Amino acid sequence: MNKLLGSAYLAACGSALALGLTVTSVSADEWPTNDVRLVVPYAPGGTTDVLSRRVADLLQQELDTNVIVENRPGAGSTVGTGRLARGGRDADHTILMASPGHTIGAAIYPDLSYDPIEDFVFLQNMVDIPNVMVVPADSPYESVIEFVEAAKEESMTFSHSGVGSSIHMSGELFKTLTDTNLTAVPFAGSGAALPALLGGDVDVSFENMPTVLSHIRSGDLRALAVTSAERSEYLPDVPTLSEIGEYNLDQFITTAWFGLIAHNSFPEEAQSVMQDALANVMEREEFVDFADQLGAEPGQVSGEEFKQFIVEDLERWENVAQQAGISQ
Amino acid sequence: MENFSEVIEIFFSLDNFLAIAMGVVIGVVVGSIPGLTATMAVALALPFTFSMQPVAAILLLVGIYKGGMYGGSITAILIRTPGSPASACTLLDGYPMAQQGHAKKALKAALYSSVIADFISNIALIFFAAYLAKIALNFGAPEFFWLICFSLTIIISLASGSMIKGLMAALLGILLSLVGLDEVFGSQRFTFGNYNLMDSISFIPLLIGLFAIPEIIEFYRKKALPHIKAKASGAGLSFSELKRCLTTIVRGSLIGVIIGAIPGTGATAAAFISYSDARRRSPNKANFGKGEVEGVAAAEAGNNGVAGATMIPLLSLGIPGDVITAIILGAFMVHGLTPGPIMFQENLSLIYALFMGIMFSSVVLLLVGNVAIKYFSLIADIPKSVLFPIVLMFCVYGAYAVNNDTFDVWLMLAFGVMGYIFNRAAIPAAPFLIGFILGPMFEDNLRRSLLIGHNDLSIFVRGPITWVFIALTVGSISLALYRFISARREARNAAAKSKKV
Repeated sequence: MNKLLGSAYLAACGSALALGLTVTSVSADEWPTNDVRLVVPYAPGGTTDVLSRRVADLLQQELDTNVIVENRPGAGSTVGTGRLARGGRDADHTILMASPGHTIGAAIYPDLSYDPIEDFVFLQNMVDIPNVMVVPADSPYESVIEFVEAAKEESMTFSHSGVGSSIHMSGELFKTLTDTNLTAVPFAGSGAALPALLGGDVDVSFENMPTVLSHIRSGDLRALAVTSAERSEYLPDVPTLSEIGEYNLDQFITTAWFGLIAHNSFPEEAQSVMQDALANVMEREEFVDFADQLGAEPGQVSGEEFKQFIVEDLERWENVAQQAGISQ
Repeated sequence: MENFSEVIEIFFSLDNFLAIAMGVVIGVVVGSIPGLTATMAVALALPFTFSMQPVAAILLLVGIYKGGMYGGSITAILIRTPGSPASACTLLDGYPMAQQGHAKKALKAALYSSVIADFISNIALIFFAAYLAKIALNFGAPEFFWLICFSLTIIISLASGSMIKGLMAALLGILLSLVGLDEVFGSQRFTFGNYNLMDSISFIPLLIGLFAIPEIIEFYRKKALPHIKAKASGAGLSFSELKRCLTTIVRGSLIGVIIGAIPGTGATAAAFISYSDARRRSPNKANFGKGEVEGVAAAEAGNNGVAGATMIPLLSLGIPGDVITAIILGAFMVHGLTPGPIMFQENLSLIYALFMGIMFSSVVLLLVGNVAIKYFSLIADIPKSVLFPIVLMFCVYGAYAVNNDTFDVWLMLAFGVMGYIFNRAAIPAAPFLIGFILGPMFEDNLRRSLLIGHNDLSIFVRGPITWVFIALTVGSISLALYRFISARREARNAAAKSKKV
């Protein structure tokens, strides 16, 4: 039996090794003096997870230390973020991949145990993914204006991937700004939401670019607008919502941003080492290609600017949550 | 096909074969460890595929997926601890078989039905993808709603024995499934302000607690019982037994294929629906839940039938039906490929090479599975006084591993106590689980349909698919009622006769 257990143990170790849980020692006086943990506040498999694993892989090479990805999912992203906010022994070697869940979560959960701004330092905005306002190919609406006018007359539906997702909140923001009759239809993730849109069960969605880009290109969905400040290089002919100019839509600028943050006790020396390393990561061809595949644009801001960006994002979602009556 | 040679060239590389073999081995090992699911393994393996050739990368992930689907059944059968949620159904008959000294038979039945289902699922993927994808697109919330209704009526058959206890268990399952955030409004339900409950009760700790812990408690309660040495687990599966199960396997595979092709249902539901369907049709109905080989075959056929079919919406529409296919979609994208209709035009050779690899993975699963059985079935011979402490350790570890959180360990132990009470009171676990799995789907699709239809009920009869499922539901309930009434009549006649005598 010992032999059996031994071989089972070996097999487990083998697969652990194969899965990359390797451990090597680091000898240096400067930060990092230890392995770096990259917390993903979502379950394995989502955009945040995939992006984090790609970043961890490249960051590992830049920092010459192990970067271990750890998934801490739960309640939007607030469980994992709450853990980071508590600090602790490894806080000087822990970073977290934050996303709109960070600000939306703070906007819709009233009793968070942490302050989404002051408890953290903001390192680097890695990528921005715009959302796209899409309608099914056989939809009668060719433009945002046509859609808004119709949605003021009759009630329409928009699909989203779950309460508090950037897709949901974008829909609510659109509804609030344009004062239209839009009803949110929730699905368990974008994978489940997409067939309802393709099949015409819902009228519109504000999906993430990577989810719908291929369907726009194949002609199954029609893009009416993108939600970012600038037009997307992936859909150069599609206007931004803020370009529309009517129905208060000039205020509609949102992107799904992804960026690394750390506990506010993260040493300053570490911040600069990390920011340099992340800037290098973002310049690497592998990263650029990867972002390209995601339909993402490279992040623009870091440090204080990144923090300011988050403050504004939080304000926006707090307003939307209040007006749409979403609060847990 | 004009580019046949190109397909061959892409497919026949050592990398691809290695990727498939490694994938299946990793899948079987990881899948068999409670708490480590195929999903996690696929996610963890993803970064390693970045530097691989696209076909090898996808095949590695597909291999892990398929291996994991089967691997979960190993511990389900041997130590009553489902390695992954989809194998919970397998243990209903698999574990009793192992207890009776037929561990090897149960493992083989699980393997062969997995492989056959996998094969059928692959065939469906390769030849009917376009057709099934079209059905999937027409499968909106109202259609889903009726599918769940129909599934629930099939499941009535599981509540035999005591109908009252079965219903109680099912309702308790539904009640517990309500915990978490409301899907439409996002408000908290029964979370008691505990953030750990916001994402609803974690399924894996629930399963581990419900099944594994009661066995351990029971063992220590009547500690004195001698270990019955069952000789490594007894004989394998005979050909005639396999033949007897074949219709069940094929039917289960088809159920798996249909459910897999529709995004968002999942392998666990497929396993239970296939199991209930098999039980309803089987002449050995009474033996289900007590160690019926057909039950193991049905459950495994159901969950493995899903594996190939979830690739249908992914490849033909670019829609991932579950988390694993979402990760695989990520892997495609990293390599500059976008699954969907365009890929069939632009990368046809690559798709065919993938298909060949996916077919080949079934063969690898058969080989790897056989080796695994040879060694794993020895577990059945380990004295329980040695085995159970190890199992308990795995239970704690497995529950913890899901979210890296001790809360889930307590949850697991709480469900362990509940499972023990279930056992003592002879309350069946299957209806409980079905309530827990299908309850939320029922609710969500009902509410979703009403939202889509602006509260107009006519959406529930909007097209042929809904009509078919309504007819099936009504038929299924009528049949159950008819059986119930005629059974009562018979009982009354028999009673009258015995009175006369």
